[in-house]
Amino acid sequence: MRRSYSQWTRHIITCIGCCLVLSGSLPAMAEKTYELKFATLAPVGSTWADLLQEWADEVKQRSDGRLVFKIYPGGVQGDEPDVLKKIRFGQLHGGAFTGYGIGHIYSPTRALELPFLYSDIDEIDYVRNRFMEEIEQGYRDNGYEMLGWMEVGFIYFFSKQPIRSLDDLKERRIWHWQGDPIGKAFFDASGIAPIPLSIIDVYTSLSTGLIDTVYCPPLGAIALQWFTKTSYVTNVPMANGIGSLVVSRRFYQNLPQDLQKLLKSTGQAIGAKLVAATRKDNQDSLDVLRSKGMKFGLNPEDLDEAQVNDISTRAAQSLMDSGYIPQVTITRIQQWLAEYRADKEQHKAVDAGP
Amino acid sequence: MTSISGRQPILDDSLQRLCGALVPLLLLSACSMGTVVVRGTQTILDSGIAAMNRETDLDLAKAAMPANLKLLEGMLIEDPGNKVLRLYAAEGFYGYAYGFVEIEDRERAKQLYRRCYEHARLALEQSGISMDPEASPENELEAAVARAGKAAVPALFWSASCLGNWVNLNRDNPAGIAELSSTAILMRRVLELDETFYHGGAHLFFGVYYGGRSPMFGGNFERAEQHFRRAHEINREQLLLVDLLYAEYLARQRLDRDAFHQHLTRILESPVNLNPDLALVNAIARQRAGILIKSEDDWF
Repeated sequence: MRRSYSQWTRHIITCIGCCLVLSGSLPAMAEKTYELKFATLAPVGSTWADLLQEWADEVKQRSDGRLVFKIYPGGVQGDEPDVLKKIRFGQLHGGAFTGYGIGHIYSPTRALELPFLYSDIDEIDYVRNRFMEEIEQGYRDNGYEMLGWMEVGFIYFFSKQPIRSLDDLKERRIWHWQGDPIGKAFFDASGIAPIPLSIIDVYTSLSTGLIDTVYCPPLGAIALQWFTKTSYVTNVPMANGIGSLVVSRRFYQNLPQDLQKLLKSTGQAIGAKLVAATRKDNQDSLDVLRSKGMKFGLNPEDLDEAQVNDISTRAAQSLMDSGYIPQVTITRIQQWLAEYRADKEQHKAVDAGP
Repeated sequence: MTSISGRQPILDDSLQRLCGALVPLLLLSACSMGTVVVRGTQTILDSGIAAMNRETDLDLAKAAMPANLKLLEGMLIEDPGNKVLRLYAAEGFYGYAYGFVEIEDRERAKQLYRRCYEHARLALEQSGISMDPEASPENELEAAVARAGKAAVPALFWSASCLGNWVNLNRDNPAGIAELSSTAILMRRVLELDETFYHGGAHLFFGVYYGGRSPMFGGNFERAEQHFRRAHEINREQLLLVDLLYAEYLARQRLDRDAFHQHLTRILESPVNLNPDLALVNAIARQRAGILIKSEDDWF
């Protein structure tokens, strides 16, 4: 069938029109930018906030401005449950979370925070590395992508009166972070009746005497000013606080693959920096607390090993019973720890020689 | 022994007595000459500071301040116990660091705030508070400060202000963050003794103290609001620094974009001659407001 002149003209005009539309949209597609709204409790100017900004700057630079962060520091978007809610509603896309928030994302991760689990930092790193694949999958299944790992650090008891044994804790008015299952499991297993309060009320409650003992990492004691209301700190950590850099799957999957890769690789790197910086800050904080007259007590040798094991086992059991952490997870972590310790012993024996 | 030879000892004796009287006098005058000169120039200094506060040309003020600060430190070498000079030095280093250095060079500003604090701390000692706020347990510092009277207000104020700004630039350092409570103890006493001192500066301090942190970290937005309101009342709304700090700390922490924008816009639209005695600090506030408002899209 032959086309008339006017049909040809129309066809050509339509083609040109399509080309123009396409050529107009090509640069627009190439320049599409993505804004990642990211919240953290870390105050402006703190090590954490500075490192997150460094991450944002690197991503912006390496993506030629296609992926930019809008960071909300200092808890301006609310506490961790608020931030998770906003992520679900699409008002935010990601955040830096501590164990408290992580428990709402994939609670088995908090097996890493079981009381009296580790002897040193190397054990933490070993177990976490073995566990990481499962954690990442758990986050994914629940609508989140883990970008990097962080930690809050070893958690100690800060008190107005000295704590010389775990039994002494029963005599204290101990704060319990309201709604935190790990803390509850520890207190139940220890036979302690704590006072549940929101974290916002802790400083005032220490001042009024409603509570006289709190638990947190050394940097937390300084940042939250709790150290000004307490005089004693235990020398044995109760647990190791964890943390994660997280983004919603919806946001992550919407990114082109190269930006997904960039976000993930830089997130892992900044996470490693955050872990190192937190460990240093916590160590420095212990020195500052010492210089401020804080008295250190309850050394590892003061602990009754059988009592510690009993508390640890019972806390784990109650978390399994409630379904917060599955038995298989706890068993696996205990196996990895046993494996690591056996390996370490073997190396020691080899190093010592015949 | 009435001969010439006999008179000689008498002459010698007189000379000796004269010399004995003159030498200490000369020594005394030699020792205090600098002090006398320093004290004599104090009124000129007062006028110089007033003139500086009325300066509207920021470049001129920035260029003039270092020489004045060095002159003050030179005068303090001559008269180290001069509390008034100590406080002028503290105020000068504070103003120079905040107005002209902090934004461009945070590390240098930290050093200048330390220097400011050292001067203020010596004035604090001269006001009867000899303990080092940084090295004292909180309850002991509170007890010492509670004994301080109204005469200690300037030293308390400048110690808290200088240390407070140093802490603000050291939020990444546990040793810095740990000093926050000491500064609050000193400033709380200023509030009790004279809330209007230095344009109600204690209210500004607590506006930032409660407004710049989330409630989890000890922030209290209602209290911050009250302190900013009172600072405005004291200054009849002519101190633009109140609006600046409200926007920078409270509005940002509350994620209140409208308030952030309104307060900064008010500063930028205020006339230069709003209050001639506050011209320099208002010019600094105007300059910083211009920088802050550019962050609006990033922060909200």
